[in-house]
Formats: sequence, C-alpha cells, structure tokens
Amino acid sequence: MTTIVRVQGLSRIYGEGDTAVTALDRVNLEVGGGEFLAVMGPSGCGKSTLLHLIGGLDHPSAGEIEIEGKKLSQLDDAHLTELRRRRMGFVFQFFNLLPVLTAVENAALPLLLDGVKPRQANEKAAQWLEQLGLIERSGHYPHQLSGGQQQRVAIARAMVTEPALLLADEPTGNLDSRASDEIAGLLRKAASDWGRTVIMVTHDPRIAAFADRIVFLKDGRVVDEARLSANGHEEAQMVKDRMEAL
Amino acid sequence: MPVRHALLALLAQQPRYGYELHAAFEALVGGQQNWDLKPAQVYTTLLRLTEAGLVRLSESGEGAETDKRLFEITPEGQKELQNWLHSETALEPQRDAFYLKLMLALSIGEEVRPIVRVQRTALYRRLHQLTTQRQEADPRRELAKILLMDKAVMHLEADLRWLDMIEARLDEVCQQPLPQPELRRRGRPARGS
Repeated sequence: MTTIVRVQGLSRIYGEGDTAVTALDRVNLEVGGGEFLAVMGPSGCGKSTLLHLIGGLDHPSAGEIEIEGKKLSQLDDAHLTELRRRRMGFVFQFFNLLPVLTAVENAALPLLLDGVKPRQANEKAAQWLEQLGLIERSGHYPHQLSGGQQQRVAIARAMVTEPALLLADEPTGNLDSRASDEIAGLLRKAASDWGRTVIMVTHDPRIAAFADRIVFLKDGRVVDEARLSANGHEEAQMVKDRMEAL
Repeated sequence: MPVRHALLALLAQQPRYGYELHAAFEALVGGQQNWDLKPAQVYTTLLRLTEAGLVRLSESGEGAETDKRLFEITPEGQKELQNWLHSETALEPQRDAFYLKLMLALSIGEEVRPIVRVQRTALYRRLHQLTTQRQEADPRRELAKILLMDKAVMHLEADLRWLDMIEARLDEVCQQPLPQPELRRRGRPARGS
C-alpha cells in the first residue's frame, strides 16, 4: 500500500508562555492509498487541528507532513495552494455551498478556480453528481436541497478535481441518522470504489465504524488505534498465504 | 419460553413439518449465529406442545416417521399464542461478561486500560461488519433483517459509550472497594449488637 499521508512528530501549540495551549503533541501517523481513516476523540482533543494541518489550512509548530511524498514545509504558498486545490478535497460540517449557485455550479467551482473552461467544468461536475445519485437535482439551489443532498453536492465539489485525499471534518454533524449513514457510505465508497484516501473527523461511533481504521486522540496525542478491516496489503498477504497453503 | 411460542406462531401461519419449522425459525432470527436452535429441540418442543394440546398432527401428513409428520396449531394453541403476544416480554438480566472481567482485573491489581482498549476494538470491528451488512441489505425486501441489525448496532453504540464512561471514571473506581459479599455470622447474634 502506498503511503499518501505521512505525519511525523507533529505538534501545534497556540499562544506563548504561560497561556500556551498544546493542541497537538508529537503525533505520528501514516495513511495509505484508498484507506478510510476515522479520527475520534473528545472535543478539544486536537482532531480538527490535525485535519487542518494535513490540509495545509494551518501551520505546525513542529514536525512534518508529507502528502504524496511532498513535504508541506518545503512548498511555497503558490505550490501549497496548487497541491490543496488539485490533490485534496474538503468536506465540512456545514456544507459551505454558495447560495447563489446551483448544485452543478457549486460542484464545478474548484475546476473554474483552477482555470478549466465552464463547459468542461460543468460536464465534470454533472458526472460526479450522477455518481452521487443527485443528477436530477443539479439545477437546484442549496436552499432547495435537504441537508443530506447539500452534503452530497459538497462531496461532488470535493471529488471534481479527482483528488488523492479527501478530508472530512464532522461531515455528518449536521445531519439526521439516515442522511448520516448515506454520507458515511459515500465516503466509504470514495475509498473502496474510487481509490481515494479519506480522513474523517467524527465523534459518532456509528459513523466511525464505516472506516477501515480509527485513531483515538486525547489531549493532542494518539492514545489508541483500532483496525476494523484488513487493509489491501494484509489482504494480499492473506491471499498469498492461502495460495501457498494449497 | 420464546421458542415454544415462536413454533406456535409459525404453525399459526400454516401447518409445517419439523425441519421446516427449524428452517423458518432460523431465517427469522437471522441465522444460527444469532440464535442456535438445535433440530432436536424443535422436535422435543413439538412433542411437549402436542402433549399440552396446543399442537396436533395434521391428517394430511405423509406418515408416522418424525420428519414426515405435519403439525398444525389447535384452537387452544391459538389462545395460548394470543396470550403470549399480548403479555410483556421479559427483559434481559444484567449479565455482562466484560463487566465481570473488568472488576476481577481491578481486584487483582491488573492494569485495566489495555483491557478496555481490546474490548473497544472488538466492538468497533463488530460495528464495522454490521454497518457493511446493513448497507448491503435491501430495505424493500429485508426490512425484518434490517430492524434486527439496527438493534445490534444500537446496543454496540451503547456498549462503546459505556466503555468511554468506564475509562473516564477508572481512577475513581480504583479507589473504591469492590462489591463484597455480606458475610453473616452463623448462630445467634452476639450480645449487645
């Protein structure tokens, strides 16, 4: 399994001196291609900080983050922006769709910002809306969509640039349990069927259970880890072992 | 006794052979991993139900051999079934193997956090499996199965919350004495007590 995300000795301290708060304390983490990782822990444990640092939305106080072998600390702002725009997709709790744009226009936005022609961008966005079962709503505005549908538009927007890495911060935090299952199921699909690496922050055990692996954070540190399904490498090894046993 | 009444209800649908009843029961509870009912228990239960007059042999059966006897419900059986359906269902007792392990670990001074972690991983793995099965189930055909899985999912969620609570209160629990039996002295109470 190729490593998509490598985090080493990552710390984030806010403030200075007596008032300094350690949000993240020397965290190590590796996430493979096509792996679905859930990050759990009580509020204030540093899980959102971790996600923001991996997404290049915040700068670490110490430590290093590599995305597809590129060290974030060695990228200038322009290259960091490009990496973020092309290789990462973001899904947030409050959808963050633009109210004046339709579903398909919202989904096409990252491509337009990247200089793709509107027609091509809209076609690509429509393809993703179709994958996510929302094509018949493509002309609707956000206020005409349910929470679950808005989050599906947000996933289409995140997927439209074909990123290697999908980062989701409490993606079901604002949804009822049925829509939550749907969204978690789609993130599961993004990993298993579409080969993306997914890192999702959640406090909901049922949603975390969709993932391949869970890391538990507490007081800024990884305190436990649970593998819920065999990863690609282990599965390959198991197949090999079985073949040899024949 | 749920098995006894389950058989009555399955016979209320239609007369059935013993092996048919076993298969129907297993399909309903979602497989033998959920409820392991042995075929022998089906036959002994049928025998007892017959003796009680709640079930009888149907005349359209093929013969006297055990697996060729067709059973049907009697009017008394129908009455008993109605009583069962409309009475309250007994709640499960607080019998928890993990609780027992945890308290015993505490009592011999074992470090319990690793024990909690192993259990948490096991619960999440089970939840992951159920989630996958739940996603694959077709709500237009398999709603009964889905309802049963939902129950299991909710119980696992509760167990996970309980583990979090245990972990949060572990230091406190360690400082308290474990439940001890009340040892009563034999014979007459001592004077003055």
